[in-house]
Amino acid sequence: MAILNLLFATRNVPGIENIDVAEAHGIYKGVRKAVTMERQAVIDEIKASGLRGRGGAGFPTWIKWNGLPKNYTAPHYVICNADEGEPGTYKDRELMLKQAHTLVEGMIIAGYATYSKVGYIYIRGEYVEPAWQVRKAIDQAYKAGYLGKNILGVDGFDFDLHIHMGAGSYECGEESALMSSLMGERGNPRLKFPHAPLPTVEGVWKSPTLINNVETYCAAGWIIANGSENYAKLGTERSKGTKIISVSGHIRRPANYEVEMGTPLLDLITEAGGVIGGGLKAVVPGGSSVQIVPADRLGPINLDYESCGANGTLLGSGGFMVFNDRTDIVLLMKRTSEFYAHESCGKCTPCREGTRWLFKILDRITSGGGRDGDIELLLNVCSNIDGRSYCGLGDAAAWPIVGAIKAFRPEFEYWIKYKKSPVGASALPPSPEVVNPLLLQAAAAHG
Amino acid sequence: MSTSTSSNSESLREPAPAPVPETRFSAQAHAELDEIAGHYPERKAACLPALWIAQREYGGSLTSAAIQETANALGLSYAEVEGVATFYTMYNTVPRGRHHLEVCTCLSCAVNGAYDIVHKLEHELGIGIGETTPDGEFTLSEAECLDFCGAATIMQVGDKYFGNLTTENIMGLIDELRASESYTPAKLADSIVKILQPGSSITGGGSYTPESLELPAGPML
Ligand SMILES: Cc1cc2nc3c(=O)[nH]c(=O)nc-3n(C[C@H](O)[C@H](O)[C@H](O)COP(=O)(O)O)c2cc1C
Ligand code: SF4
Ligand code: FES
Repeated sequence: MAILNLLFATRNVPGIENIDVAEAHGIYKGVRKAVTMERQAVIDEIKASGLRGRGGAGFPTWIKWNGLPKNYTAPHYVICNADEGEPGTYKDRELMLKQAHTLVEGMIIAGYATYSKVGYIYIRGEYVEPAWQVRKAIDQAYKAGYLGKNILGVDGFDFDLHIHMGAGSYECGEESALMSSLMGERGNPRLKFPHAPLPTVEGVWKSPTLINNVETYCAAGWIIANGSENYAKLGTERSKGTKIISVSGHIRRPANYEVEMGTPLLDLITEAGGVIGGGLKAVVPGGSSVQIVPADRLGPINLDYESCGANGTLLGSGGFMVFNDRTDIVLLMKRTSEFYAHESCGKCTPCREGTRWLFKILDRITSGGGRDGDIELLLNVCSNIDGRSYCGLGDAAAWPIVGAIKAFRPEFEYWIKYKKSPVGASALPPSPEVVNPLLLQAAAAHG
Repeated sequence: MSTSTSSNSESLREPAPAPVPETRFSAQAHAELDEIAGHYPERKAACLPALWIAQREYGGSLTSAAIQETANALGLSYAEVEGVATFYTMYNTVPRGRHHLEVCTCLSCAVNGAYDIVHKLEHELGIGIGETTPDGEFTLSEAECLDFCGAATIMQVGDKYFGNLTTENIMGLIDELRASESYTPAKLADSIVKILQPGSSITGGGSYTPESLELPAGPML
């Protein structure tokens, strides 16, 4: 099993949140090294490492870093997306709680490479405890001379780092909505490339802006400190290095597992202690926005971008949710659609209306009011959201429903025909009446 | 759902009455806002931090007077600030109890018994979702994924997460919360404002000491 703790190397070191301990364990080595390099050489290292964005989309990191103007003529901004909101994902939380100095280091390096003088860490409002660790790390980094003016004695290398707290909105994780929120507005997204310039050209306050995820910055720092070749030799051809996978659901040892890219998916389930409360039914490998995969199709999947993509799902943010055979997939999708309906920002019609439709239909089906044609209706609504929405949230609301219907259509049909859960009727001790459709086989969880 | 005398529905809001001017921002609050606004190239960007300050200064909820005072402090219109305040779920545009119980019922929590916990709380506290106990101690809400799914079921209360909740241990926690005197409805906002201020981890800043922000319960820590 390829557990490989690069970013998490020091997560269990006592006192690692204090800068002296962090430095003794090699954190900030990357900054010291970076400032001896040409700025372009730092970007070239990131390029050679093959690092791709860990926030969900997997965009090559170096292309963003390379996209900002290479001078200090106008202000540039470096933003960290720490709005972690994707259901199933909790890696950024642990990185900030335990490795806040690693994040700060990565952002300082990004600031250096992109000629930026100011950085913001946009942390979701609920993450008070992680944010507090980030505050401590920033305060200590200022004292130690890693932040502020003429950092490490390098003339003209100034970098300030601020924390911006969100206030409860999944949509603010979408990068253009995050920028709106950072500028003091509602979390509505903005026009995107090719209809508007890229953030690296015109981002916050119409200035060149770099946005990356927490894990991406942490990895960038590791790469500079340890060399791109040591990162690029890990993983697969197009997915290099490691990925932190947050494992949850019906699993014995839920935790964040940092694995080498390309690790077989089923190995991770074994590493995490196996399924509890029943046999394995399905896995959602990359957060609630990606397609659910039934157990019998998990075998060929490896945890990397290519393999997940080739098998009808996505690696996404690494929110790995395991479901046992007592899970009702239709109820699960009802709850998923409820999430998107709640989080839709309301800016565009397909998503604002469509997500509510999906929830209403699924709620009706799972309340015993299913009708013939409901499955087609769901697919129809999905196809009117997917690709027609203003931002990725709409697509993300449609994909899981389409995926679940593809993989578990008989369960939808059963609900519509018999007005009750197929789970109770098949694998389980008989439970003919669904007492409360909200109860997602809760009792089965702790087997 | 059980009934309750206090019904502060989250989705239905009365149109805000014209705010009665109030000035509750202390001198310290204005100083904090000026410091934080200096982090951004435009003062308007401090709207979210300013609302956190207002939520603290107004004892945990954003009344129309609080929104007006925030708007004045930023040089923005009332409508602009209200639009922001109502977009985000963590700004309390309606008053809540001393402890806001936000039980995550999203996917991983749902399959680990979150709804059982919600039902237990409804039953034991005698309130439904969105309602507050008559003594003002507890408001019950369902939360979307709080992103600590590995320790499901998760509940956020003010500035803290509690993990690994079950129907067996939830009422013990409720008793602890009832007994804890340091909690106020303004605690969450207070902690956040503290985090926004440079140096607060060294000076202790604000009205809370760094130690008062303990790490959450949970198996992964
Ligand atoms: C609805 C929606 C929510 C998102 N939420 C997050 C998030 O919580 N954290 C994150 O890093 N990226 C999130 N993203 C992806 C960001 O838009 C963006 O791609 C990412 O921050 C870029 O960083 P990276 O290149 O390092 O991955 C979200 C995207 C969408 C469409
Ligand atoms: S897709 Fe949804 S979240 Fe995105 S802009 Fe449209 S309504 Fe808002
Ligand atoms: S599902 Fe409850 S914390 Fe994620």
